[in-house]
Amino acid sequence: MENGRIPPRAIRPVITACDMLTPYGPGIDACWSGIHDKVSTIRRLNRFNTASLQSDCAAFIEGLDYHGNESLVMQMIAVLFARMRNPLPGDAKLLVATTKGEIDLLEKMILEGRGDEKEFDASGLPGKVSALAGLKDRGTIISAACASASSAVARAALMISGGSADCVLVVACDSITEFVFAGFSSLMALDKTASRPFDKGRSGLSLGEAAAYALIMSRERAKREGLEIVAEISGWGLSDDANHMTGPSRTSDGMILALERALHSADCSRDDISFISAHGTGTLYNDQMEMRAYRTLFANGPVPVYSIKGALGHTLGAAGLVETIIAARAIRARQVPPTVNLRDVDDDAAGWAFPEKQDACKGHKALVTNAGFSGINTVLVLS
Amino acid sequence: MVSVKGIGWINGTEYGSVSGDRRVRYQDRMELRTKLFSCPFKGFGKLDDVSVMLCYAVALALKDAGIDYHADRKQPAGLIGTNASGCLQSDINYFRDYLESGRIMARGNLFIYTLPSSPLGEASIHFGLQGPLLYAAEPGGSLLQAFSIAADMIRIDGLPVMLAGSAEVDEAIYCVLSGAAGQEMKGNSICSLDEAIAVAESGRNISGVINDFMALNKERHSA
Repeated sequence: MENGRIPPRAIRPVITACDMLTPYGPGIDACWSGIHDKVSTIRRLNRFNTASLQSDCAAFIEGLDYHGNESLVMQMIAVLFARMRNPLPGDAKLLVATTKGEIDLLEKMILEGRGDEKEFDASGLPGKVSALAGLKDRGTIISAACASASSAVARAALMISGGSADCVLVVACDSITEFVFAGFSSLMALDKTASRPFDKGRSGLSLGEAAAYALIMSRERAKREGLEIVAEISGWGLSDDANHMTGPSRTSDGMILALERALHSADCSRDDISFISAHGTGTLYNDQMEMRAYRTLFANGPVPVYSIKGALGHTLGAAGLVETIIAARAIRARQVPPTVNLRDVDDDAAGWAFPEKQDACKGHKALVTNAGFSGINTVLVLS
Repeated sequence: MVSVKGIGWINGTEYGSVSGDRRVRYQDRMELRTKLFSCPFKGFGKLDDVSVMLCYAVALALKDAGIDYHADRKQPAGLIGTNASGCLQSDINYFRDYLESGRIMARGNLFIYTLPSSPLGEASIHFGLQGPLLYAAEPGGSLLQAFSIAADMIRIDGLPVMLAGSAEVDEAIYCVLSGAAGQEMKGNSICSLDEAIAVAESGRNISGVINDFMALNKERHSA
């Protein structure tokens, strides 16, 4: 790419089926309605003792059995797969996006002093998901910090457009555990109550948990099999800041690079972009970094930006897929979701981010951006 | 056409490179930093074991491919990593430390290594690599996925150079892959992508993979 223009791809990857389990409950409709009703699912967490931690709030799913027989993520995925109306194609490749997968099983092993923790099977999750989905492929873990899911979607799209796969199931999941919660607390990254992306008074993120899946295949196959097309993954751009392990770039150069790569990959112009589904964690530096990048790239005027993390928390390795599915719904509805918990818009987001939903005025494509530890940036272009 | 331009590796007693047909014994792993890095590595002492091995292997691979680097001079190369154990040792270290604190305060500098992508992040910062960065692992930790992803990013996304490899707490191997856009690099290729994939498909461990690449390189030179 750096040395010339890539010709438009002949094979176009599309999402033909998707679903999610979020703190709103099962289904896309529940999440979509909750966000549009400006209901935040961030509330008092009672899964473990948070007394000495930075916050006692998170967006969690009711009814999960913590330190039970099955991991939290497998419990979530079982609910999701049980809702499937059509069987999955047996030839689908499987990508499982996660940051910590079944870490609650390791916690349990250490807390109960049972077995040799060094024998813990850290790579067992894809096999379990594959068996539950009835796929031949044993699956691959994709992990790119908080950009894991969007990296997996980009990988699936790359596999399809490159011809190495005809159909890919992306499953994304992460759960709220003491392991993860204490870690974010130690980094002083949590808002004491509920995250407020793009707000002047924002003071950190709120953790969330979710599982989601998307079945991605070539447009030709979807057409041949008479499947509904939810959205096309028209382009993707991945980059790294190469700057800091936990802090985003102060120049936004990595995110700008990912945005440019994504637009180039989709062979589209800035004017084609209707809105941006931002990573929008609610931390001071992340939101600042993102707005600097958007203002640089869209220097001619604001493009509506929103974040769903004030509504359902930061779902870590699942975030990119939940956000992709909501963005796909927003394209269809021609409506930009509100940023829940946004009250006093920060100066650098003024005119871009809104507490109320907006009509999507121009363009027919959306950007979905994510950023994570290690300076990872991903941008997807959806149509 | 994607080919392998450089390979660096390290284990508990030796390090080396494939194109340069180099194999060197060493005593003190931490002391290697003055020999293997071409500029000071900030905060090297706080890295977890996987990050240490990965960064050494990447330094050796870049040198083997004739690629100069500096953290302040960023380049569009990306990093795809894999392994069999994820970040299990760092997970255990972090959580045990948290429990020993009475579940009061975890340590952030241990928590950051509880992501399997974190060692890649340390390398991207030190070597100034701004390309895609991700961890991809199949059961068993074969190099196959890492090679496939890196090669697709070169062939389809047009990235000029990608590094792909595997790192564990006691050994690592990283390979520099390039396509037509990266052909201005010095030296000959070690092998083609197909040959590298055949090595990865053999399912051998890191030591076995290193031996296979050494043999391929010798064959190419003697041909």
